[in-house]
Amino acid sequence: MKPFDVGGTTLFLALYSDVTNSKELLDLMQAGTLEPEIALLNALLIPDVFPVLAAAHKTLIAKSREALTTRTLHSELVYNYSGSKHISESLKRCGISDSTSYILVARFDASADEVTAIKELIKGVEINLEELEGRANQAQIQKHYKIPASELRISSLSDAITCRIAARDAL
Amino acid sequence: MESSMVLIKQGAEARVFESKFVDRRSIVKERFSKKYRHPSLDSKLTLKRLNAEARCTTKARRLGVPTPVLYAVDPLLYTLTFEYVEGLSVKDVFLDFGLHGTVEEHMNDIATQIGDAIGKLHDGGLIHGDLTTSNMLIRSGTNQLVLIDFGLSFTSTLPEDKAVDLYVLERALLSMHSSCGNVMDRILAAYRKSSKQWSSTLNKLAQASPSETKGKKAHNGGLSSVNYVLHTLVRTGDGKWVEKMRKLFVPLLF
Repeated sequence: MKPFDVGGTTLFLALYSDVTNSKELLDLMQAGTLEPEIALLNALLIPDVFPVLAAAHKTLIAKSREALTTRTLHSELVYNYSGSKHISESLKRCGISDSTSYILVARFDASADEVTAIKELIKGVEINLEELEGRANQAQIQKHYKIPASELRISSLSDAITCRIAARDAL
Repeated sequence: MESSMVLIKQGAEARVFESKFVDRRSIVKERFSKKYRHPSLDSKLTLKRLNAEARCTTKARRLGVPTPVLYAVDPLLYTLTFEYVEGLSVKDVFLDFGLHGTVEEHMNDIATQIGDAIGKLHDGGLIHGDLTTSNMLIRSGTNQLVLIDFGLSFTSTLPEDKAVDLYVLERALLSMHSSCGNVMDRILAAYRKSSKQWSSTLNKLAQASPSETKGKKAHNGGLSSVNYVLHTLVRTGDGKWVEKMRKLFVPLLF
């Protein structure tokens, strides 16, 4: 897993392809028994790590004010990444389903033991985070975040997503 | 939680800091409270304007007009965090043209980008509200025009509101950059190409604008002063309107 500093807290990220046990992961998560607690994101909607870090920043501020909208810190990250206010829809689209095989795994302040545990938990191939851009589904991203072609003439996909994550609560 | 903040500008409604967001250089714009307002009214107004600015800045991007990427909105600290745009303001570029002579090609490029950007905003129903050359940046490297400060922006499809937007810019150009020649004409030429509704807007502008009513009954444009001053009063409601009234009225007196 790769560490990223987000305002003094560390967010660990790892990208997996060909994940075969997403149903099991989803069941554990919904039962609240996933150990350690992690966020599982639909990586097809992630063209770069930056918007994930912006969502993480937002999550940590909400946490510091004890103002999380969802049940856990890590589900809040998925919810915030979605840029939408609809919680269940956000978790469905930006989280994983039974059949998701391409997943970004995130964990705040992961210890060495937790990193090892996460590696054992996910049955898939860990790949470089630089693969995000090439593997992202642009059409799906544009549809989910409502990004028109006019915006993409002056903005990267990643910046367009970041703006929506930041502006959600101002709308 | 936040890393170091360096004050770079203090205005009537907000302080602007340079900071860092995650691993990127950023600008933090903090709206502060006004002690002369009732506290509950003050916090409501401040939050309303904070959110409006976030919405308008991101709406401009959707319309294809470059603005700084919005990184975060903090409704408790009343801050907006933006991408740090590297480059000079159009004001500085034009003032430099005044001192060292105009680079025609560069000037044309900037004027075209300004007209094109405003045309896109207006066709999308967005009024900038404070179009001055210090609210326009030229991104170094690409020379892309970036509009900033949507603190007075609002949505409207009225030709009057669009004309006032252009009128403010015309006044700003006349007072700051008269040595740069007919920049406004070039901006309007680009605006015509960019905006489908240019005709009704420019008709209204002609009623207001002194430069286009030479010799005729000069400054009684029904729209210009009254509408603009009212607008400004309603929009800002803070110290800023005094300055704007002065900008508007002093030239009208002569």
